[in-house]
Amino acid sequence: MQGLWDFWAAYRSTLAFAIVNSFLALSTYAVLSAGILSFATVTYAAFGGFLGARMVLATGIDPMLTLPAAALAGAVLSYLVALIFLRLESHWMALASLALILITRVIVINIPVVTGGVNGMSVPLPVSLELLAVLIALAALVFWRLSVSWYGIAAQSVREDTAVASSLGIAPRKIQTIAFVISGAVGGLGGMLLAGALQFISPDTYFVNIAFTMIAGVVLGGSYHWTGVIIGAAVFTALPVIAQAIIPEFQDVANGIVLLLIMIFLPRGLVDPRAIRLRNKFQLPVAQAIKDTSSTKLDI
Amino acid sequence: MDLFFEQLINGVALGSLYALFGLGFGIVFATLGILNAAQGTYASWAAIVALAAAEHYKLPFIPALLTGVVAAGVIALLVDQVAFQPLRRRGKDMLGALITSIACWIILDSLAGTATGHNSLSFPRGTYPSTMYHLGTIPLPVMQIITIAAMVAVTVGLHVLIRHTRFGAAMRAVGWDQTAASLGGVNPRYVVIITAFIAGSTSGLAGVLGGITTHNVSFMLGEGLMLKGFAAVVVGGYDDVRGTALAGVALGVLEVMTSQYLSSGLRDGITYALLLGFLLLRPRGLFGSLTYSRA
Repeated sequence: MQGLWDFWAAYRSTLAFAIVNSFLALSTYAVLSAGILSFATVTYAAFGGFLGARMVLATGIDPMLTLPAAALAGAVLSYLVALIFLRLESHWMALASLALILITRVIVINIPVVTGGVNGMSVPLPVSLELLAVLIALAALVFWRLSVSWYGIAAQSVREDTAVASSLGIAPRKIQTIAFVISGAVGGLGGMLLAGALQFISPDTYFVNIAFTMIAGVVLGGSYHWTGVIIGAAVFTALPVIAQAIIPEFQDVANGIVLLLIMIFLPRGLVDPRAIRLRNKFQLPVAQAIKDTSSTKLDI
Repeated sequence: MDLFFEQLINGVALGSLYALFGLGFGIVFATLGILNAAQGTYASWAAIVALAAAEHYKLPFIPALLTGVVAAGVIALLVDQVAFQPLRRRGKDMLGALITSIACWIILDSLAGTATGHNSLSFPRGTYPSTMYHLGTIPLPVMQIITIAAMVAVTVGLHVLIRHTRFGAAMRAVGWDQTAASLGGVNPRYVVIITAFIAGSTSGLAGVLGGITTHNVSFMLGEGLMLKGFAAVVVGGYDDVRGTALAGVALGVLEVMTSQYLSSGLRDGITYALLLGFLLLRPRGLFGSLTYSRA
């Protein structure tokens, strides 16, 4: 019993980080599901995180209030980003969002009044695992409802083919703007939760590596369904911890190799709705056929 | 005024490093269509290998430099064949290649950290030329001259290779469309392998020279070069090596001047603001061609 308790204590924080990372991954997925590769999630997260942390430190308000504030801040910021970025072609947008992350770090360093500058700031905002569990359940519910809504279907068509989508009466720009705002809200919230989970944030907390980790998590889990995103983020968070337990010296190398293998052998990710659909579709006739042949053999 | 000229030369030398690195990065992006996150590690590894060659095997400067450069080319070649070739066979997919390049970045970065013992090493005195020339009263270290000369030579060489040779035409054809290129009698696999090697060794050269001049050989070396090299490629226009070279030098000068006369805190800010500005207002960069687009 004690062993089980130790295990739980040791991996409790891993679970917390898995949930936090799921939020950031969902934010990346929100735009990816409308056909946009954007790393700007990191910027929304930084905005939400620093704003929320500073709000608590400066005014001493209830930390719970900072969560909607961070989400709102992220949403507003992402709307502004969408206004500018959506004019760009797809791969220029990906590059521009990378540039945005680089600039975010410079801005964070240069306004020490708000962010603590290079030294960062500690965040007296404990985020309980229960709260995270409730929030991720809520986020899952939202993404599930979105995926079957009119918006979800429109986003999917925009992702598959923008020209076809607009010929069907869908305004791609509008759908993509909505996707950006969803991404911003989820990203801002995720940034705040990350600050709470880490208890300390600095300019390096929200930088390129987090963007790469997130996009890797999304693609690893499967970028065609929101459950895949959560699973991917969880796997990508757990992987270093597991690798650390098995081969401590080369944990990063092990991560990289696993990521490489998954991308090469499972290019559509761990959760692939198309594969599942195909399997379900073919299962029945195949099973029937096998039954038929076996019964023929019996006859002979 | 002397200070200004001294800083100008510093800026050009620094910018030459960005330009050299950016050349490698840009070729991969233009020809292979990959945003290669692992490119920075080629530079780190080139510096580490060159350092090992100079320190442990007592090679003189030029052979040590070449060892590092070739090592980076070979690593780039391996990364391409292991991480990008399987995806390439299945068809164009920028996102997939980005992820596998991130995987290689993680692997090579952490191995580089292990190789250097997570320290910042530097080339010991005497393993590289350290003569100091003087232009009037302005000091002119020979390593800066070598860096600038190397950048100019590589830029001219690559420009001639890409624009005026048959192989260069094949490279551009593969960059445009692999299937069409192979219908035209080009062997894409061969072109891709050579291109990956050239790109890796160019970035590796930046790594070795940067490791010597900044006295910093570690995994951080490549990361710094990559962000600035990326900026140089975008600002210059990634399908023209002259643009990358010019933009790299300009960024270097701008950075040094900013930290000298404005504030060192703004140093990175100016580069990245310029990068974002170009992406938004003139995404094809200074020299990029108008019709170039990749689906």
